[in-house]
Amino acid sequence: MEAFKDKFKEEAKELIAELEHMVLKLEGNRANKSIVEEVFRVMHSLKGGSAMFGFSLIDKFTHLLENIYDKIRTGEYQVTDDILDITLNAVDHLRNLIEETPDTVAQLEKENNKFIEQIEIVLSKGALKSDDFKNNSDDDKKVSNHTKTYFVHFEPSSDFFQDGSNPLFLIDDICQLGETLIVPVYSKIPKYEKINPIDCYISWNLLVATDDDINAIMDVFIFTNKRSKVEVAKLSDKNLLAEKSHRKILLETLLKNHADLFEKLSIVVPDLEKAQNGNEQNTQRQRVQSSHSVEQTIASIRVSSEKLDNLINWVSELVTIQAQLSLYTQQNQHIGLAPISEEIEKITRRLRDDVFSIRLIPVSNMLTRFQRLVRELSHELDKDIVFESRGTETELDKNIIEMLADPVMHIIRNSIDHGIEESTEERVKKGKPAKGKILFNAYYSGTNVYIQIIDDGKGIDAEKGIDAEKVRAKAIEKELISPESEISRKELFDFLFLPGFSMAKVVTNLSGRGVGMDVVKRKIADLRGQVEIDSKLGFGTTVTIKLPLTLSIIDGLLVKVDNINMVIPLSSVHKVYEYEHTKIEKAINNLILADDERVPILNLRKYFNMTSPPPPLERVITIEYGDYYIGFTVDEIIGEYQAVLKPLGSAFKEQDFFPGATILGDGTVALVLDSNKLIELFAKTEVKIGN
Amino acid sequence: MEKKILIVDDSESIREVVSFTLENAGHEVVKAIDGQDALTYLDGRKYDLIITDLHMPNLNGIELIKRVRTIEEYKFIPILFLTTESQTAKKMEAKEAGATGWIVKPFVPEKLLEAIKKVVR
Repeated sequence: MEAFKDKFKEEAKELIAELEHMVLKLEGNRANKSIVEEVFRVMHSLKGGSAMFGFSLIDKFTHLLENIYDKIRTGEYQVTDDILDITLNAVDHLRNLIEETPDTVAQLEKENNKFIEQIEIVLSKGALKSDDFKNNSDDDKKVSNHTKTYFVHFEPSSDFFQDGSNPLFLIDDICQLGETLIVPVYSKIPKYEKINPIDCYISWNLLVATDDDINAIMDVFIFTNKRSKVEVAKLSDKNLLAEKSHRKILLETLLKNHADLFEKLSIVVPDLEKAQNGNEQNTQRQRVQSSHSVEQTIASIRVSSEKLDNLINWVSELVTIQAQLSLYTQQNQHIGLAPISEEIEKITRRLRDDVFSIRLIPVSNMLTRFQRLVRELSHELDKDIVFESRGTETELDKNIIEMLADPVMHIIRNSIDHGIEESTEERVKKGKPAKGKILFNAYYSGTNVYIQIIDDGKGIDAEKGIDAEKVRAKAIEKELISPESEISRKELFDFLFLPGFSMAKVVTNLSGRGVGMDVVKRKIADLRGQVEIDSKLGFGTTVTIKLPLTLSIIDGLLVKVDNINMVIPLSSVHKVYEYEHTKIEKAINNLILADDERVPILNLRKYFNMTSPPPPLERVITIEYGDYYIGFTVDEIIGEYQAVLKPLGSAFKEQDFFPGATILGDGTVALVLDSNKLIELFAKTEVKIGN
Repeated sequence: MEKKILIVDDSESIREVVSFTLENAGHEVVKAIDGQDALTYLDGRKYDLIITDLHMPNLNGIELIKRVRTIEEYKFIPILFLTTESQTAKKMEAKEAGATGWIVKPFVPEKLLEAIKKVVR
């Protein structure tokens, strides 16, 4: 059971996330029945599973929630802000509950009770029938200590056996509900010679004392055919079967088998009840109503990420071997081998693309979190903001999405806090819609994915004015620029990504939240991505994040430096030039002229302390770094190469400009160079870029 | 008695628990992740029993039961569904769709096997 429990935990986490997503969706379309159905279904699955695997707190809790949504479903309740708030808080609470440990159980239980109280308060406040609600939950919990006594008359149709039913099973089921007093009626059994062995002649009169309600008894008979007669009625709110003497009286009455047995029983009941100091008598029959549900989600199979990683690993191996095969085919002219090798290359490529796409998930997966953030923070700051998203089907590697969520949260937080105007009046005065807007936009471009967070708030004054001056002052203070130098718009925005330039401190006086844009930039750089800000005063701010599609394959340029293979990501390669070595050696200020532009050079041979003499003709690859180009000198260029990234051993942990390596067709290793990291490092130690 | 049983549930953990219990009891188990998936397994192969959840995406349990009953080979196959106690209305609906009986969630292995014994001979 323990093993299943872990599996359920995983499942529950997904269900909770789905619930959160659905509730947020419901907020926008309160009347949408199918969303309510969906919320209900998710809660129900959660409840069923938690009861199954012993998460009793979740079971209790979701039960209450489920009741609310059941009532919304039947139209008894309306979706109100209070209900949505409670449900969303509940989502957070559920997340804690699923992680319950013996140590935290007491604490969680306390919270649980607090929550249940809250729910009840909200419901009673909302002019809803809270009594009804409470009763309902009490009934279901079976905590009501009253045991009631029911009368049941069961008369199976004569063909009852024919659909494989057995009336004794039903009687068994009744016995499981509580104490019983059962009297079979044999009067209809014909003479032996007239008995048809496939017919049922017996009926039953019985009393059952149970804590369950009448539905539990009705349920037992749900599957009897329509021709069978079933009567269930409450005889007393007391347990009449507890006392032996009472049982005897009742048994006698039952044995008489009157046509109006229930009435006859009812006559004796008051006396018996009186004997038990009770005087209530109530008879009720309950009808069952049916409801319909519509359900929809996308079909998918869940596979453990470990299996996926293995698969990807094997495909990577296959790609490597395939490259070896191609090389061998080129070098050895075997007749007939070339077409086979080509075919394998084609299939391998398709296989690789398909397998790698398995890891891709749509960005919509992280949207719920942002929606929550916008909702909660805007409430907190008393701003009216809508969150919109576009291009949510854009897919990214699961790992990237996971690591991306935090920085994007930070950007959105900034937008809400500092971007959107303090008041709606301020917005209206500027001729903008009263509601602030934050747009999450995702799209593909080439082998990259772009994600933009666009707000229509105040924007940053880049030209002159307070913001620009503040940034300038800060930059001068940090000795990043000299007091005389002009800074461009672009540079100004770039400064915002440096430590100490947090938007909070610059744009408004509100304090930052500990994480500045420098951290955002670093986190995105870890994903081999880039981030940029653009803003127009009065119109809003756009933050654009550029990301690679996947982290495990790099389209690169294979080069050689001192006989060592290196792969430079093609996305940052701009152009390749050829220079005589002496020209590079004599370059003034380490700058060379490429297409009439002065470009600083990073001599890889020198940088990595390679001692062998360089070839007379060296290649310079210009690498894009922001708006500048940096020239990397290499010995030889071999060509384009799709590198499957393999991690380097722990001996290489101390550096981060070689994030990994790849195995070439001939089995040799090529180091994959992270040009951005290298340039950053180089810029820190050697020259100032762009000046 | 070794039986071939089709389990339909969108929750992997429930699916595993049920199949674990049944396999331990010596039955052969086929698993489907929802109603739609289940129909692909109902292609004429012989089963002794179908156990299905009611709340599932794509094709829910009720719809599945209705569809199964329209297939000639499975007209009389016993179908049990999994349900929680609070859902009387659902039970009626499932019954009308053609279910044979139900198993209340949460269940213990013995209960499950007992319920199966009642419908499979």
